[in-house]
Amino acid sequence: MDRVKKAKPLTCEQYLKKFSRAVRWRLPSQESEEAIADYRELIFQEERDETKLVEELGDPVQAAHLLTDVKTYRRWLAVFAVLAFGLFLLVKWAWTAMIPFRFYEIRAWWYPVWVMAVGLLLSLYWFRRHGQKNGPMSRRLALALGAVFLLGAGSMAWSWYVTSPGFLEFYRQTYPDSIPWQVILQRELLVEGGMACAVTALAGLVLAKCYDRRWLALYTLGVTVAAMFGFVEFCMVRMDISAGEPELFRAYVFARILPVGAVGLIGTGVALC
Amino acid sequence: MLKKDLLELCLLQLLAGGDKYGYEVLTPLRAAFPDTQESAIYALLRGLGKSGCTEWYMSPGGGGPDRKYYRLTASGLARLEELRGQWRTMRDAIASFGVV
Repeated sequence: MDRVKKAKPLTCEQYLKKFSRAVRWRLPSQESEEAIADYRELIFQEERDETKLVEELGDPVQAAHLLTDVKTYRRWLAVFAVLAFGLFLLVKWAWTAMIPFRFYEIRAWWYPVWVMAVGLLLSLYWFRRHGQKNGPMSRRLALALGAVFLLGAGSMAWSWYVTSPGFLEFYRQTYPDSIPWQVILQRELLVEGGMACAVTALAGLVLAKCYDRRWLALYTLGVTVAAMFGFVEFCMVRMDISAGEPELFRAYVFARILPVGAVGLIGTGVALC
Repeated sequence: MLKKDLLELCLLQLLAGGDKYGYEVLTPLRAAFPDTQESAIYALLRGLGKSGCTEWYMSPGGGGPDRKYYRLTASGLARLEELRGQWRTMRDAIASFGVV
C-alpha cells in the first residue's frame, strides 16, 4: 500500500491509457468506467505536475491492482482460462488433426463441437451478466465479423465442391496418383483458417472484456467457424472417402455441420444484442 | 490500529469538515503521509463509498468540467466516531509508556 516505486515518467494521456487498460481487464465494466472517470479527473488537474505523476499516483497497473476485488477477478480469470484453453485445443486440433484421448464413444470429429458448445454457453452467460455495451457498435467489429463469416462460408462452399462425387470421380480417373490442388487448398483453408479463427476469437474475448461486450460476437463466430473447420478436418482425416460413396460422406458432414453453424450464428446474434 | 485505519480516520475527518472533490481529499492526505501514493488513498475512498460511508454527486468545478464531490453519510459519521474512539484508546495506551 505504501510502497514507493521508481518508475519511468508517463504523460497524463499515457498514464490514463495504461490505467484504463489494466482496470478494464480486472474490474467489472461499470466499476472500471467509474474508476477511469475518477482518474481522469484526478490526473487532469491544473495543479498536477505531469513529471511527478507516477511518483504521486503510483504505477498505473499497481493502481488498478489496488482497486481489484480479488474474488471477482479470480472468477473472471477462471472463465477466461476455460475459454482460452478451448481455443488452444481448436488450434492444436486444426494443426495436427489428432486427438490422443477418447471420451466414451464420442467420435473425434465431435470434440471441436463440444468445445464450441461449452465456449458459447459459458461466454454468453458471463458477458450477458457482467459485460456492458459501450456506445455504438464499432465498425471494426462489423468488418471482422464479415471477414470471419466470409472465410467460414467460403471454406464450407469449397469443401462442398471438393467432396462432390463428380469432382472426385473426375480426378480419380484423370490423375489417379496425385492429390488435386483443390483438395490441397481445402486442407490449407481448414488448417490455417481454423487456427486464424481461434486466434481471432481470443482477440474478441479480450476486447469484449476491455471495451464492449459486443466484441464477444467475434469470439462466438470465431469459435463456431473454428469448430466447423475442425469437424470437417477430422471427418476427412478419419473417413476414407474413396472407400464408399462420396455422396454419403458429404451428406453426413453437411447435415451435421450446418445446424452447428446455425447455432453459432444465433449465438453471435445474441452476443450483439 | 493500522496505518490504513489512520488514513481512513483522517479521510473521514476531512470529509466531516465539508464536501470535497477527489483531488482535494488526496492532496492533504498525501502531504500528511508522504510514503503513501494517491492511488492507495483513492482505493480507500472508493472502498468507503462501496461500504456506504460516503456518497458522491457531480457539481461544477471552478470554470472547468464538473467535478465529483464526496460527502459523508450517517454510517460514515458513525464509522468516524468508532475510529476516533480507537484512536483515543491507542493514544492513551502509548502515552502510558511515556511516549509523548
